[in-house]
Amino acid sequence: MSEARFDELIHPSTRLSIVALLASADWVEFAFVRDRLGLSDSALSKQFATLEEAGYIAVDRVVSERRRRVRVRLTPAGRAAFDGHVAALREVVALAEPPAAAT
Amino acid sequence: MPPTHDEISPSEAREALDAIEHSRRQVIAEIDVPGWYWWFLAAGWVAVGAAVEFGGPWVTGLAPLLFGALHAGLASHALSGRHRSGDLSVRREVAGHSVLLVVFGFLVVLCAATLGLALLIDADGARHPGLLASFMVALMVLVGGPRLMAALRRRLARAGTA
Repeated sequence: MSEARFDELIHPSTRLSIVALLASADWVEFAFVRDRLGLSDSALSKQFATLEEAGYIAVDRVVSERRRRVRVRLTPAGRAAFDGHVAALREVVALAEPPAAAT
Repeated sequence: MPPTHDEISPSEAREALDAIEHSRRQVIAEIDVPGWYWWFLAAGWVAVGAAVEFGGPWVTGLAPLLFGALHAGLASHALSGRHRSGDLSVRREVAGHSVLLVVFGFLVVLCAATLGLALLIDADGARHPGLLASFMVALMVLVGGPRLMAALRRRLARAGTA
């Protein structure tokens, strides 16, 4: 269980969706993230730049099937930040839920 | 200014958790065997059926072994379920061994179905029972394989939430 730690960089909805997508994968192609989130290339590049600057993601340029591809992956720091953020969100939800009625 | 931990309302936190779950499901939707795998399996099944039906004793013995060895060589990559396309690699923790186990179980059922159908067709007096049975099972592979994976993805999506 990760230590709950709210992460202001991850929390904005677009970045949260990006990081959540990357959290379930070893790496994801740029185009896959763009299509799933319905973002433009430039908008997604901006979000990636912010996350990369924070050390949360790594961007690899690879050649596969004779095509240059951009693959993005979460770094260990990014994964730790994401896990902590999820734990913090769960904490907020749990605190708001009424305690179970004693029987 | 982005919100801080103390400024997050429970409903906003719940919305964020829902968005995370939605993303997780988008990755789970990619868990599958590569598209060629079911065609390979179906073609191999018919080829083995034909070899058993028309080949001599050596061919009858060797064909299933050769196909089994070829399948085993491809299985470790194809049956991980993590590389359906070149778009992403699903994390091992997310895919688990479910694809491998489900396909292995499916293969056992297919072997039993082939044998059972061949015996039934043979008892009916039809010619080439082995080949006919393998054709029927190949059809089962092409129709049932993708459906099996779809059912597995639904199960994985239901199991565990963000």
